Amino acid sequence: MTAGQTTGHIEHESGEKCEYLALSFSPLSAPIRSRWRNNGLSADFLGDYVTTFFSANGDVTDRPAHQKEIKHAVTYIANEFLENAMKYHERDVDIPIGIRLELTGSQITISASNGVGTEQSERYKAFVGRILSHDPGDLLLRQLEESAAGTAPVESGLGLLTMITDYGARLDWQFDGHPRYPGFLVVTTSAVLFPETDTGAAE
Amino acid sequence: MKAITGESYEIRMDDNHSTVFFKGALRLSGVADYLPILDLLKETLVNPTNPVVLDLKELDFLNSSGITMLSRFVIEARDQAGINLFFIASESIVWHARSLKNLQRLMPALVIHLT
Repeated sequence: MTAGQTTGHIEHESGEKCEYLALSFSPLSAPIRSRWRNNGLSADFLGDYVTTFFSANGDVTDRPAHQKEIKHAVTYIANEFLENAMKYHERDVDIPIGIRLELTGSQITISASNGVGTEQSERYKAFVGRILSHDPGDLLLRQLEESAAGTAPVESGLGLLTMITDYGARLDWQFDGHPRYPGFLVVTTSAVLFPETDTGAAE
Repeated sequence: MKAITGESYEIRMDDNHSTVFFKGALRLSGVADYLPILDLLKETLVNPTNPVVLDLKELDFLNSSGITMLSRFVIEARDQAGINLFFIASESIVWHARSLKNLQRLMPALVIHLT
């Protein structure tokens, strides 16, 4: 498998400085079974990576217990994103799977992108519509009940719902046409964590 | 003692079939891969004479497919009369406090001991 890695330092339009780490995986080179283990390795890496900034950036957080919570949240979210991307990406086109960690003084963003065909894209958009129009906690319980009864439409939605209900993440989605592959889209899903105002439901 | 082990995890059930111990990180790839573990858990629900205990305090990581598997077990326990279900969890493992409460919403009688 080939994987690229980029790190850097950019400035947002708002003028807020931003550190980032980006990994990309070629979608074609290994069967899903053999690369599944890499999801965990990459997610753990992102979780560890984010801790670098705890001491360097007092804006994020300085309490050890809170740092541990953030590290786990990043690992959990990155793992779910990578699992979904590996499961649902389109194998017939050479669109990389990407995952990116971005840190500003007030928030941490984890985003993942992968290529999909129109049909998969429509299914995903329908699920996004359900998330946006329901209470995530209620939807999660319904999804768990439906899964137990064997009537759940898609399994993957559960990971996204738990990001919201258990880790207080805000999710965003972007669907872009691909310039080289007409009929295919790049789907980017982002989860934004707000360490200073974490409402991650640990009450 | 029955056990299921993988590269990063270990699951053991005591000889009374009443307590199941989890250890490590579980990131299996979906419902089908979790079925052997779910089947093992369901053995605790056959003629239980003792409370059923899932000892999770050494389970550092569980992906959402694993949460689905646990929820399927909890729903099965809930729907069977007379099951006393206990989870032993750890305050030092972040996901325990954050995610197990969802299972308690599925089965309000589920007792979670945070150690």
